[in-house]
Amino acid sequence: MADVTSGEKTSGGKGGRPHLLVRSGEYLCALPLSSVRRVVRALAVRPLPGSAEELKGLAEFAGEPLPVVDLARLVGAPQGANPEYPVTVVAWAGPEGARELIGLAADSALEVVQLPPQSVVAGEGGVIFGEANVDGEPVRVLNLEALGAET
Amino acid sequence: MRVATVGSYLLLVRQGGVWGVSNETVLGVGRQENEYHIQILCQAGSRQIVADEVLGVVESLKVWPPAGVLQRFWSGFPRGLAVHGGSPILVVDPDRPPATLMLEETMEEDSLQEGEASDGRAN
Repeated sequence: MADVTSGEKTSGGKGGRPHLLVRSGEYLCALPLSSVRRVVRALAVRPLPGSAEELKGLAEFAGEPLPVVDLARLVGAPQGANPEYPVTVVAWAGPEGARELIGLAADSALEVVQLPPQSVVAGEGGVIFGEANVDGEPVRVLNLEALGAET
Repeated sequence: MRVATVGSYLLLVRQGGVWGVSNETVLGVGRQENEYHIQILCQAGSRQIVADEVLGVVESLKVWPPAGVLQRFWSGFPRGLAVHGGSPILVVDPDRPPATLMLEETMEEDSLQEGEASDGRAN
């Protein structure tokens, strides 16, 4: 489960940055592979009463507390079918110099793809950096640096 | 890199979450029907918070500063985060406990006292 670097393929041109494709609700999302520390079977999450719906709760990872964000809610994805093997993607979030580990609860981790910059149509900024096309399916390309404390 | 501090904490369960309160601030614990009322020290004197369960005191709990993501998606003011027995814990700031832990009666009593004080001044 932790090995996410095999079977890379390229979308829309040569080169580009490697991204991990994950399914979240009815959306496909691409996470920069440099932000991904590990993919594990869905961590047990303790709810945090009073939190926004994007925050699924708190979990334990490698002996440390880990806030877990519901990726589908974060990107506004419609709920899909119940996932058979849900995962938690442990990833670095926040701006350079203030990065922190978070968990992203997703339905499944699929594969690693290369996304050349020219294949990504930039959006309005924020967590959803833009959109690309992989095998005819739209993919939300995420920028986890935009995910942290709001100033 | 996050640096953890170590201290003694009383662990509570409320609405499915596990909460930690610095043991130095705990004045007393009492049971009332199906819940526990915990009297804690705060800058304003003392206040009561409420819990469904009291798990006990952990003598050396490592507490990490609260994550930015937590501050973004949670309206409370956590003092930090910790893990004990595989369970994540939110460490409470005694001066700003989350609404989940607030005892409604305390607020009512405060309102009543304020009302009485107002009445006193009016007379």
